[in-house]
Amino acid sequence: MKDSTQSRRARGAIILSLCLCVSALNLLPARAAERVVSLNLCTDQMLVLLAPEKVAALTPLARDPALSFVAREAARLPTVRASAEAVLRLQPDLVLAEPYGAQTTLALLREEGLRVLTVPEPRDFAAIRAETRELAAALGVSQRGNALIRAMDAELAALPHPRESRSALVWEPRGFTAGPGTLMDAVLRAAGLINASGGRRTGLEALLRHPPDLLVVSAAPEYPSLASEMLDHPAIADIPRRAIPPALMLCAGPFTADAAALLAR
Amino acid sequence: MKAALVAVLALFAASLLIGDGTFALPDGLILWQIRLPRALLAVLVGGGLGLSGAVLQGALRNPLADPGLLGITGTAGLGAVIAFYWGLAQHFAPALPAGGLLGAGVGAVLLLAFAGRAPSGPSLILAGVAVSAIAAALLALALTLAPNPFALAEITFWLMGGLADRSLLHVALAAPPILMGAAILLRLGPGLDALSLGEDTAASLGVPVARTLHLAAAGTALAVGAGAAVAGAIGFIGLVVPHLLRPWLGERPAALLPAAPLVGAALLLAADILVRIAPLVLPLSAAPPVGVLTALLGAPFVIIVARRAAP
Amino acid sequence: MIALEHITIELGGRTVLRDLSLGIGKGELVAICGPNGAGKSTLLRALAGLLPGTPARDPRRVGYLPQGARSAWGITVEQVAMLGRIPHRDSAAAPVHKALEQCGIAHLRTARVDRISGGEARRAMLARVFATEPDVFLLDEPTADLDPAAAHAIMSLLRRTAEAGATILVVLHALDLALRYAHRVLVLRDGRIAADLPAHDALPAAAAAFGLPFGIDPEPRLLPPASTE
Repeated sequence: MKDSTQSRRARGAIILSLCLCVSALNLLPARAAERVVSLNLCTDQMLVLLAPEKVAALTPLARDPALSFVAREAARLPTVRASAEAVLRLQPDLVLAEPYGAQTTLALLREEGLRVLTVPEPRDFAAIRAETRELAAALGVSQRGNALIRAMDAELAALPHPRESRSALVWEPRGFTAGPGTLMDAVLRAAGLINASGGRRTGLEALLRHPPDLLVVSAAPEYPSLASEMLDHPAIADIPRRAIPPALMLCAGPFTADAAALLAR
Repeated sequence: MKAALVAVLALFAASLLIGDGTFALPDGLILWQIRLPRALLAVLVGGGLGLSGAVLQGALRNPLADPGLLGITGTAGLGAVIAFYWGLAQHFAPALPAGGLLGAGVGAVLLLAFAGRAPSGPSLILAGVAVSAIAAALLALALTLAPNPFALAEITFWLMGGLADRSLLHVALAAPPILMGAAILLRLGPGLDALSLGEDTAASLGVPVARTLHLAAAGTALAVGAGAAVAGAIGFIGLVVPHLLRPWLGERPAALLPAAPLVGAALLLAADILVRIAPLVLPLSAAPPVGVLTALLGAPFVIIVARRAAP
Repeated sequence: MIALEHITIELGGRTVLRDLSLGIGKGELVAICGPNGAGKSTLLRALAGLLPGTPARDPRRVGYLPQGARSAWGITVEQVAMLGRIPHRDSAAAPVHKALEQCGIAHLRTARVDRISGGEARRAMLARVFATEPDVFLLDEPTADLDPAAAHAIMSLLRRTAEAGATILVVLHALDLALRYAHRVLVLRDGRIAADLPAHDALPAAAAAFGLPFGIDPEPRLLPPASTE
């Protein structure tokens, strides 16, 4: 029963040095976020894919099946409009956003001391992987992030390589096209197509003069618009086309591989 | 009159040749499916606007009357937007010009309600400005509320007009109402002449004043409503055309009616050609909406006319 | 020949004409006089059939000239006169030409009506009525804006036209013209006919209607007729 002073001192020294080591090496990671608000459709979708249980709020657009890949899941999750007051009331510990849009709201939130993470929109599959990893780490779900990346890579690898190379043009309303360096350019290349766009606007007439082998357009049949009307113009009816759901074209994420799969068929 | 006809035909041919700014000879598909509808619409819409401007100025005895300034193209655009973005036109294509017609009809009814009580120039124009402003605001609201989240981005088309990327279907939708409206308006000549001496004098000459005004409103709604539904709100052509004609043809309202649609067609063809050429000579990324050009031409006109009218 | 029976007209909540009846025969030139607000212009409009409840008239037979009539556009004098042919749906040149001559503005036929004097424009408007060749003339202040020579010339023309068989009703402020040229004077006061007398007997009643003390000048001293008569 004799507690030697020596052993007591030794215990204390070990505990003390352990604490010093831990604080010196900062071994404790930044606490993973538990309540997350997303203020942007693209980060909405990443958040729902990675950590739906941590959602404090999404944007209302996430529930729109025409725009969002995760619309069904998002239907059961809370939403908020991007006002600083509404976000603060939710008391999140992390806010996800993109570098553009809602800038004043984000500035206010930062001033209030909230942690705001802005992720730039990925433009190719490498950037999609990087973004997925970064967000997964911030949410403390790195394993899930890696699983998503593995699934995406498997899908990409399984895409058939076409024997002849076909040219394709991603044609958006008002004649905008997806030029080199854009996300859709990466999708086209992953599908084995050659991007016929040089990055410039292409009107109806120019399209007819140099028609691509495949016209890639965004499909939103339940919403009429002048833009989609242009796609139905009788003059270009003969150009083969593939319509991609806008949910796959608006935001980048692991699901972008589905777009490439649609085109490679 | 003959000069106007020649001008229209020349501009029509030029429009077919110019296309999107390149001067290559078009092949059959481009010519028939893209350039022909565009040129035909310019003739129809411009003609309808020019004629209705001449009739409105005669009926209201006001040199500033114009379907745009008086809010009729604005309400037409509102009707068309509702028919379009809520899917009515998807299921039944003629719903689009019908929406424009209904909207224009409402605008014309409002106009007559004001005109009956306050035929003096300034108050009529003020009423038109009010209707125009309300219509534009409601149009923006409708686009914001539309089920399509991209609708609001298309507001420049509806407010400033555009003839690009229209097809023969649009021509087929717009032509019957415009031609019907023109047929009604062209027969109002003698009534408008009588009205230039005042409503009492016209009535005493046996002219059915109320019916003449109603026919002017109905004809305008037909001639302008369908055009606004397929080409957006293009302003100032109705205002400018009679003023261009008066130095040549005199000021009698009936004398202006036959030439008014021709000059209106020529003006819109010319404006449409210019907007396609503009990106070649100015640092523009794309052709501006055609309403920009007509407004640049027409707004100074308003100032000149208003100054001349003021003592 | 034109008549009204028991006409009551209310405008803007005010009774302007009260149970009024009158008849004017062929060959009569009748002047309507009275204070402002008596209802003279309304009476003329009622006779023209322009007010609800009044009998409609054949526009080929009745010519109406409102007070202060102006053209909205700068059309020529000749074009103004040609508008008088609208009821006949023709563009007969002879009546138009004759009307311009009668009203003394044939020399201005190609002038724009917004660029001539007020009096000349008034005569152009009158020529429009003459161009219709009506049986009945209803004229509201046709001599306003005219200098005395021109006013007398017009009244003299109207007298001659009446004597050739037309029925003419003229609203006049100038009592001297009424008394000099009209066959009959109707004095209107508060929507009723206060007096209906041959012209030469009408002065006392007219003066009374205006509230002028009778006896100012029992013998009207009128200007001599213009030499252009």
